Amino acid sequence: MYHLGALSFFFFWIVAVSGLYLYVVFDTSVYGAYASVEWITHDQWYLAGVMRSLHRYASDAMVVSVIVHLSREFFIDHHRGFRWFSWFTGVPLLWLLFSSGINGYWLVWDDLAQFLAVNTAEWLDWLPVFDGQMARNFISEARLSDRFFSLLVFLHIGIPLALLLGMWIHIQRITRARVNPPAGLMFGTLAALLALSLVKPALSQGGQANLDVAVAEVGLDWFYLAMYPLIDLTSSGAVWWLLIGLTLMLGALPWLPPARRDPVAVVDLGNCNGCARCFADCPYSAITMQPRSDGLPYAQEAVVDAGLCASCGLCAGACPTATPFRRATELVPGIDLPHLPVRGIREQVLAGASAMSGEGRILVFGCAHGAPLTTVSGQSTAAVTLPCVGALPPSFIDFVLSRHHADGVVLAGCGSCDCNFRLGIDWTEQRLARERDPQLRSRVPRERLATCWAGRYGGKSLQRCIDGLRRNLSASSAPSATGTSTEQRSA
Amino acid sequence: MTLIEWRDEFSTGVASVDYEHRQLIELINGLYAKLTREKDRDAALRFLGEIYARIAAHFALEERIMREKEYDQYQDHKDDHERLLDDILDIMDEFEANTGFDDEAFSRRLGEWFTVHFKSKDARLHRRLG
Repeated sequence: MYHLGALSFFFFWIVAVSGLYLYVVFDTSVYGAYASVEWITHDQWYLAGVMRSLHRYASDAMVVSVIVHLSREFFIDHHRGFRWFSWFTGVPLLWLLFSSGINGYWLVWDDLAQFLAVNTAEWLDWLPVFDGQMARNFISEARLSDRFFSLLVFLHIGIPLALLLGMWIHIQRITRARVNPPAGLMFGTLAALLALSLVKPALSQGGQANLDVAVAEVGLDWFYLAMYPLIDLTSSGAVWWLLIGLTLMLGALPWLPPARRDPVAVVDLGNCNGCARCFADCPYSAITMQPRSDGLPYAQEAVVDAGLCASCGLCAGACPTATPFRRATELVPGIDLPHLPVRGIREQVLAGASAMSGEGRILVFGCAHGAPLTTVSGQSTAAVTLPCVGALPPSFIDFVLSRHHADGVVLAGCGSCDCNFRLGIDWTEQRLARERDPQLRSRVPRERLATCWAGRYGGKSLQRCIDGLRRNLSASSAPSATGTSTEQRSA
Repeated sequence: MTLIEWRDEFSTGVASVDYEHRQLIELINGLYAKLTREKDRDAALRFLGEIYARIAAHFALEERIMREKEYDQYQDHKDDHERLLDDILDIMDEFEANTGFDDEAFSRRLGEWFTVHFKSKDARLHRRLG
């Protein structure tokens, strides 16, 4: 489900590549178009025909993936707050996508194309700017010129290009946007589309369009053409108002209630030396490094853009001063979340540690968007809730294990490709693997650490993960003395 | 008596790095004073945590500067930082676990821990960046 956006990009590329090929063999004149499409479909069915079908089915698939993509983002509340930009810039893409598709159907110049051309022209004519000019192009065969038809072809290249530009803008606020689905999904989808193209090739409807004869009956592609029956049932004006209303409503959604947002990250200059680790880890480019403002001899300081900050806390997880070993001064890191400060995480750890007893005590650091943590807590399991698992500075794991606050640590979060804050899991795994700063110290016993990326419905896998770690711990600690773990506990 | 005196040869020529080196020396000397004069083990323990945080931040900044200036021995220097961070945590663990602790030997170890890296790695960094 989380690859829907990337899948839409993939479908776009399929449509673009097949479209380029079709452009080569397509005749862009009114009277040549239909014949060349017939040649594409029947004479060179093995290449051009497959390309035509791919072009059709991948664009249908793109509509599906885009609609499901936007519904999903809406239902998991991913359209408001700091995410408004991606949502808002996505809305015009719908117009571009649908106009590309409808425009494309004209080029075949069969019965369906004629039906669409006439109806679309009439529909557009409702707008004061066209003032009844559009439909005149399609009144009779004699009025339709090759030049106008070439214009349609160029529109069918121009609108998709605008769509691509829009898609690029759509992902601008996202660092490391995923625009390619995983290879398996990619090849599987392509294979399915190819199979569909071979089994059920896309065909033209009726014969060549003849504007002098009205079209009696056409089959509609419901993915793109659902609005035409509606125009027929109501009126051009009604459909215009409906679409304008829908667009405005979609565009306004990010600002409609219930609006809620957590306070954004704050920088504490006394603890910031401008090392730029938070800058490197922020998934939303909300942090910039700017010239020092407090007179200390550092070159830069981190500055948070409140409009972009998602309050995920990955910045605090990256800050080298966010270590629970600090006790001489108050535990205030260079950058921190006001509603869940690193100091608060330390308090949760200590409270959780003192609540646990017995053998194989396991402390779970879980993200608020993963499996519910209340169910796993028990006599020898305690949980610490974080906004995102990436908000945990790795030295907390060292702290818990080396100070014997617990015998094992589990990190739990969203599904592995579905991190609510995009990069929390990636950064966490790289920090644990010592591939990214701040690295988990090499002295930390890795066999006492487990990760579980199971998502919000993964309560059972989380429990299995905890049980599994506990079994491993008891298996490895059985031969040695077990007394040390509880005796040496200190705050 | 202080454990480490600031010397001009410690200077790397990068204002922020020098500033933090001086701060760290102050911190370490403060810890040393606690240990030898006041025999205050608890305060010393708290200081160690502070030194760990400060030194981690200092390394982070130094590494950023090295990357930006494309310092040729970056990986080598970075590895030494990682080793030093492991070491100081081990020193803290030892100190925490032990009640009968040789303060003098401990201070010497901490002082060496700081100056050896300083003389070998940071001095070369200075020559390269300066």
